[in-house]
Amino acid sequence: MSDLHTDLDICAQEPIQVPGAIQPFGALVVLDTSTLRVLHRSANAAAMLGVTPAIGEPLAIDPKLLADVSAWMSSGQISYARQVTLPAGRFHLDAHRTQQGLLLAFEAIEQDPETSTDPVYEELRRFIDRIQPASDVREVGQIVAQQVRAMTGFNRTLIYRFDPDWNGTVIAEDGDGTLPSYLDLRFPAADIPAQARALYQQNRLRLIPDADYAPVPIEPPVSPVDGEKLNLASVSLRSVSPVHLRYMRNMATQASMSISLVTDGRLWGLISCHHQTPRHISPRIRSACDFLGQLVAQQISARERMAEIGQRIALKRVESELLVKVARTESFQTGLTANPLLWLSLTDATGAAVVMAGEVRVTGITPSDEHILELAAWLQTGPNRQVFATNSLAAQWPPAERFAATASGVLAVSISQLHPSYIMWFRQEIVHTVTWAGDPRKPADPTSLSPRSSFEQWKELVRCKAQPWRPSEVETANDFRTSIIDFVLRRAEERAEMTEKLQLSNKELEAFSYSVSHDLRAPFRHIVGYAELLRDRETRLDETSRRYLDTIRDAALSAGRLVDDLLAFSQLNRTSLIMGRVDMNKLAAEARASVMLGIRDRRIDWHIASLPEGWGDATMLRQVMLNLLSNAVKYTSQRETAVIELDAYRDDAYTIYIVRDNGIGFDMRYVGKLFGVFQRLHRVEDFEGTGIGLALTKRVIDRHGGWIKAEAALNQGATFTFALPRRPQETPLA
Amino acid sequence: MPDLRPILLVEDNPRDVELTMAALAKCQLANEIIVARDGAEALDLLLGQGASHNRPLVPAVVLLDLKLPKVDGLEVLERVKSDPKRAHVPVVMLTSSREELDLVRSYDLGVNAFVVKPVDFGAFFEAIQDLGMFWAVLNEPSPEARQSYDD
Repeated sequence: MSDLHTDLDICAQEPIQVPGAIQPFGALVVLDTSTLRVLHRSANAAAMLGVTPAIGEPLAIDPKLLADVSAWMSSGQISYARQVTLPAGRFHLDAHRTQQGLLLAFEAIEQDPETSTDPVYEELRRFIDRIQPASDVREVGQIVAQQVRAMTGFNRTLIYRFDPDWNGTVIAEDGDGTLPSYLDLRFPAADIPAQARALYQQNRLRLIPDADYAPVPIEPPVSPVDGEKLNLASVSLRSVSPVHLRYMRNMATQASMSISLVTDGRLWGLISCHHQTPRHISPRIRSACDFLGQLVAQQISARERMAEIGQRIALKRVESELLVKVARTESFQTGLTANPLLWLSLTDATGAAVVMAGEVRVTGITPSDEHILELAAWLQTGPNRQVFATNSLAAQWPPAERFAATASGVLAVSISQLHPSYIMWFRQEIVHTVTWAGDPRKPADPTSLSPRSSFEQWKELVRCKAQPWRPSEVETANDFRTSIIDFVLRRAEERAEMTEKLQLSNKELEAFSYSVSHDLRAPFRHIVGYAELLRDRETRLDETSRRYLDTIRDAALSAGRLVDDLLAFSQLNRTSLIMGRVDMNKLAAEARASVMLGIRDRRIDWHIASLPEGWGDATMLRQVMLNLLSNAVKYTSQRETAVIELDAYRDDAYTIYIVRDNGIGFDMRYVGKLFGVFQRLHRVEDFEGTGIGLALTKRVIDRHGGWIKAEAALNQGATFTFALPRRPQETPLA
Repeated sequence: MPDLRPILLVEDNPRDVELTMAALAKCQLANEIIVARDGAEALDLLLGQGASHNRPLVPAVVLLDLKLPKVDGLEVLERVKSDPKRAHVPVVMLTSSREELDLVRSYDLGVNAFVVKPVDFGAFFEAIQDLGMFWAVLNEPSPEARQSYDD
């Protein structure tokens, strides 16, 4: 698209403000601001006005008029319009004060039918009535085009609107059929170069009654005040660029008039009028058109602002709704992905993504995660990190062409000062056809400064472009960014507070278990000890007394073991794992020897396969092995021959160990309770135990990042399977 | 040849004292058993401080409870092991605690053994007997220990 700009930009270098000449439909006299002596005159002044403005002399006109001009000067007003009588007749005087003097532009008042103000006033009044109910800008434009054509009698009036790149589109048109329709045509930005646009903003109305006019030179061309060429920016008689005149001839128009529509200080568009033959518009009608232009600009501005406010309110509602939902979730990423419709409608996007700590979550139609991460990395290098919006990402970052179909439009807000973390919205590419007024890329001949000679329609397929983001959408995204950052910060604070509380209660727990370990264990130990001493001492006790004594001892003993198990369980959470390679064969052999210590009169068939090495904390894994084997031995006690198997295998992620027995098993309905603290599936008198062993086992496996499961059927044995994550190959030990 | 120097038991809980004494009595050791009821008393005996002792005690072994009034077991251990004249005296830490830190700190301070008192009296009994037998009967004291005994 860049060749568009090369086209007629050269035009911008034309000295259009200082053409050194005027058009012949009036005469110009420039007076010194203090002495009111003549500084310049147009070559046609004497003939047209009937009085010769001699350079360096006072202007020989009615002293009353001169006095009036003096009064205007001292009033501080910049411009001044009057009807004046000069020797050659009645004239319309349009005066402007500049650094270079008082520029007096005279135009003869023709004997036209609209001598009284009433018809124009009436027209404007009716116009306002018609324009009020118009709901959108196009409709307003249509009414304006009709109105201006009715007031001026031009063959065709166009309402021309600039886009952000200064390309123009004809959005409304009214014509009598003499000239071709330009409705919906686009004109490249270079057709009205920057300098011309600046002039249009300053001087709202331009008239060229006859494109074949002979320019009337200014005498002298250079101002004695500042040594510069006389600036005619404020003068409607100003001679125009020959390029522009050629442009008019290309359009087959002999006369033209344009009125600037300036909204909020920006050139929004133009009312552009054309006539096939020469046509002059009187100053009275022109000033009515100028007034109408200002009125329309205000109407447009108000409507656009209303539309924007309406949109803003609607989006604000969406934003609040989404924030409420996000606030209820653990992380805002979850909140966003759980509410895809709200997330997308926040900016009217077709896809959205959130990038946080290298993790991508998406909804709707988006590029791939890899492309999104690349985009985040690129955004991080750019200057507009807080809010970035484009409707043609590929134009700014060519690699984005690969995913132009899903994300030509990108609106991204940064949610981290340090990391490439973003919330992004995407808009799909709209492959659409634009009808240009002539090929906008057709190279112009730089030597001739000729505008395109053809105004045939030229259709271009626009790629890598999405519907532009509206200001309200960008603003909403920015507001949303602030809310999310607040949310993240608040969550972080809450988490820090929670961590502090947890650490505190962890300390309390440690202190508690420490004192339990000392103060609760000791009495149980004493009960056991004294019961034993008594039993040894009293040799003559009867059987019942002896049983009582044994029960006291056993009860205290199991209470003491319970304390030990509980302490071991709580200690497990407080101790850090010392990871290393663990010889599971050795562990199994030790555990087996240990559980067999107190066992006599049992037939147990052990089938222990060769076990692959494990990765974990050896002490804790020894406990796991001990618990599982002792359970296997315990629950097979009623079998004539117990069969206990130990096997293992590996998959990509885990080493998996299996302990199988042919014991009494359990009902799978209670499997959920199996690994809970103090959960027992059997009666104490059948099988002793504190009910902590499997909870402890599961906790150990959990802490290793593995899993454990149990399968069994009542009276048909049980199988315990636990998996330990395999050693991370490349991770060096810290 | 058995080491006939006394065994010093440092224990504040009278029940534990009684149970430990009963266990040691069963071993029929010839060694005298001296009981200190807190850390300060133990230090007085071992370092020869205080009014009643002008000559420091050099026991065959010190059975030291971890949690003691006035001066706790770890401090007693530290004072003994940091005194060059007493560093060779074997110290066995007897405790209810399984807290890892105590274990690590005790070994850092040079403890000779660390025994968690089992709830099961039988096991406790065996442990005490083993300790008594090992340190008082089987262990050959280091030459420094003999020398300071002969002082």
